[in-house]
Amino acid sequence: MNPRRWIAPMVVAALCLMTAVAAQGQAAKPEGTLTVAVATFGNERWLPHLYVGAEDVVLKPMFENLLTRDPKTGELAPMLAERWKVADGGRTWTFYIRKGVQFHGGRGELTAEDVRFTFATIAKDGSANSLAPEFRLIKSMEVENPHTLTLRFEKPFVVFGNKVNQGLFASVAFIQSKRHVETSKDDGAERVPVATGPWKFVEHVRGDRIVYEAVENHWRATPNFKRLVFVKVPEPSTRMAMLRAGSVDVIEIGGEYADELKQVGVRTLLMPNVSWLYIILGGQWATKSTYDPKVPWAQPDAERARKVRIALNLAVDKQAIMQRVLGGLGTVMGSWLMYPADPWASDALKKPYPYDPTKAKALLAEAGYPNGFETTMNLTAWPGRGFLPDVGEAVATYWEKIGIRVKRRPVDRAVFAADFRARAYSGVALAYASPLVAPEPWEVLYRSGYTKAALSLFIEHPKLDEYIDRLAVQPSHTERVRIMRDEMGPWLSEFAPGVAIGSAHAIAGLGPKVGDWPVIPGHMGFHNWEFISRAR
Amino acid sequence: MWTYLIGRVLQTVLSMLVVISIVFFLTRLSGNPIHLLLDVNASERDQQILMHHLGLDQSLAVQYGLYVRNIFLGDFGRSVLTRRPVTEHIWERLPATVELGMVAMFLSVLIGVPLGVYSAVHRGGTLDGAARVFAVLGQSMPTFWLGLMLILLFGVVLRFLPAGGRGGIEHLILPAFTLGYFTSAAILRLTRSAMLEVLGSDYIKFARLKGLHEQVVLWKHGLKNALLPVVTFAVMLFVQFLGGAVVTETVFAWPGLGRLILESITTRDYPIVQAGVLVLSALYLTGNLFVDVLYSYLNPRIRHARA
Repeated sequence: MNPRRWIAPMVVAALCLMTAVAAQGQAAKPEGTLTVAVATFGNERWLPHLYVGAEDVVLKPMFENLLTRDPKTGELAPMLAERWKVADGGRTWTFYIRKGVQFHGGRGELTAEDVRFTFATIAKDGSANSLAPEFRLIKSMEVENPHTLTLRFEKPFVVFGNKVNQGLFASVAFIQSKRHVETSKDDGAERVPVATGPWKFVEHVRGDRIVYEAVENHWRATPNFKRLVFVKVPEPSTRMAMLRAGSVDVIEIGGEYADELKQVGVRTLLMPNVSWLYIILGGQWATKSTYDPKVPWAQPDAERARKVRIALNLAVDKQAIMQRVLGGLGTVMGSWLMYPADPWASDALKKPYPYDPTKAKALLAEAGYPNGFETTMNLTAWPGRGFLPDVGEAVATYWEKIGIRVKRRPVDRAVFAADFRARAYSGVALAYASPLVAPEPWEVLYRSGYTKAALSLFIEHPKLDEYIDRLAVQPSHTERVRIMRDEMGPWLSEFAPGVAIGSAHAIAGLGPKVGDWPVIPGHMGFHNWEFISRAR
Repeated sequence: MWTYLIGRVLQTVLSMLVVISIVFFLTRLSGNPIHLLLDVNASERDQQILMHHLGLDQSLAVQYGLYVRNIFLGDFGRSVLTRRPVTEHIWERLPATVELGMVAMFLSVLIGVPLGVYSAVHRGGTLDGAARVFAVLGQSMPTFWLGLMLILLFGVVLRFLPAGGRGGIEHLILPAFTLGYFTSAAILRLTRSAMLEVLGSDYIKFARLKGLHEQVVLWKHGLKNALLPVVTFAVMLFVQFLGGAVVTETVFAWPGLGRLILESITTRDYPIVQAGVLVLSALYLTGNLFVDVLYSYLNPRIRHARA
């Protein structure tokens, strides 16, 4: 065979291959800046015992958790822990930490000691972290070797994986460098935070901007953009204008702006089913000193109270609220803290009360309130859920149509948070949207609808405690689904003291630089920054 | 003169003491910051620990006493939220506010004074009418609306200028104009009325009779005397810009002192609110003092009367 006959094609093929590899290398190299305008940075803290949870959006680019959620199935998936083992019916959790993961700035390799240090910091007295109560349930933490950590609990903690999970909002058990925090002290570590994520810290000007830079050749995903800049722009109209002017590439915006965004041709990113919207009817804590038996929906006569609650549900046109207030971004549902695709959300549970003011009025009369009664609707906005006062106002207007006299009380979140804790809002209603902080509804109730919880968002009842206690120690997911679908769900539909409106979506405005942005279903707030592609 | 100055300084100190006392007690009425610092499901024990850590478990009288003592020692405390010294936060934001205030002031004077003089000289003319319309619009248009309209026009439609944020000189133009428009209109009106009064006075008639050039009469003899109330007004406005630009700062996402104070009010960050208000009232009172001294310098009659 004449060597010249095959050398030429070989050289051409090799050159093509080299060009393709080089092109691929270039495509993977981070370039440009992605600027994001958000309404708030939360409390702007960087250490696990100092941040609360609302910082999730701006912390998630640089920090990582042990686990995450599979974007397709929602199941637990590895992150900093490459695998994990649950034993003893949920009392023992062993995490096998991924080898070779480096902290930013040459702060060394991640080890089980860093994980133990982070968890102990979250759990310490005075910790602000929203997960502190759960982490205090850890009885012991044993570092078996530099990459293996075993946690032991007194009682089974079957969903602990959801507390160390990157794929949920406010899941802020972000792993910190023990060495960095101990050598820099809290003050230094707050000024120069260090983590393992695909973005590293560059600058933080409080109340103004946070700047990150891509970590090249990151173990998990190298970002497509070189820089990620968060700017704090509290005014939504300014955020809209900045996006349209090309000053920013991504904006946080409420559903009420959906039509406007469409009209001006701005692309949007839909984050489906990220929070659960309802009206809380305060006062359902019969065993507490703040219980007021005169509150119509919580009175000792269970049947009359039930009729009042159903009347308050029938009086509200939920579909209209979803369309007009939330810009159509949501699904009306009758079940409590359940999302349309959840396996425990049966068709019967999903069915909402129809809008029937005539029947509502009749039920009120049957309950002994032919002329209605007086009540207060708190109008309180929560971070990322600026639409809540409008929802409260709409519901108050519907209630007035059946003869209820509703006093509106605009009240600040900080003031009302104290009422939540003290269970001091008997007879007061308010619109609230629970973000999906845990995949299973009983986990949310464990924090806020449980007699032993620190606060009460709407209900305390021995029957509900019983469900929660059973679910908390049930290791079988199938059995938990059954209990939630066949027992707890129907009970909540009957007794839940509130007006169920449904699941709400969220949107973001996107500029021309932004390409594909895969999001985890149900994750409130921006995330997956490292997977955003550059538009071609 | 010295007696007068010392009296004014003492008055200033007393006023500041009253201001900080009012701010101290008012901020305590607005809610407890720990409800924002801790998650809603935080335990009673966590709350107590944080209250103790922040010194909020002490009686109001003790907190007040410590607060006043620390101010006299030059210690404004630490932010409840970040635990960083309050002075650090103030210094971080003050340059942005001063920058915006100075450019806004410059624009106000640059627009307001010449237009005011022109309007007075050509009283009743077309341009006087136009200037008066400009002044009325400037004083009646809400700042946030004007700001948003300017953003839409120059940022979104024409894409000449950035829509918000702080950066190069181009970032300054829209917020400075928004902030300065209201005051330029006020300065225009004030200059116009002061000039009209001065131009009708005997010494101006005398200057004209002497055959002085009209420009000299206007700018040297006329404006110099008409400027007294304008200068007072401008200095006080500048001080107001430093704290009162909160609407402009919010609309243009400008990281200034006004926005810091507003955010600190919403997060119940008492030490920052207290220090911010203290700085602003100090600037305001110092500005007042400065204007008084300037008055004495510019107007010999005042100087002699006080002496």
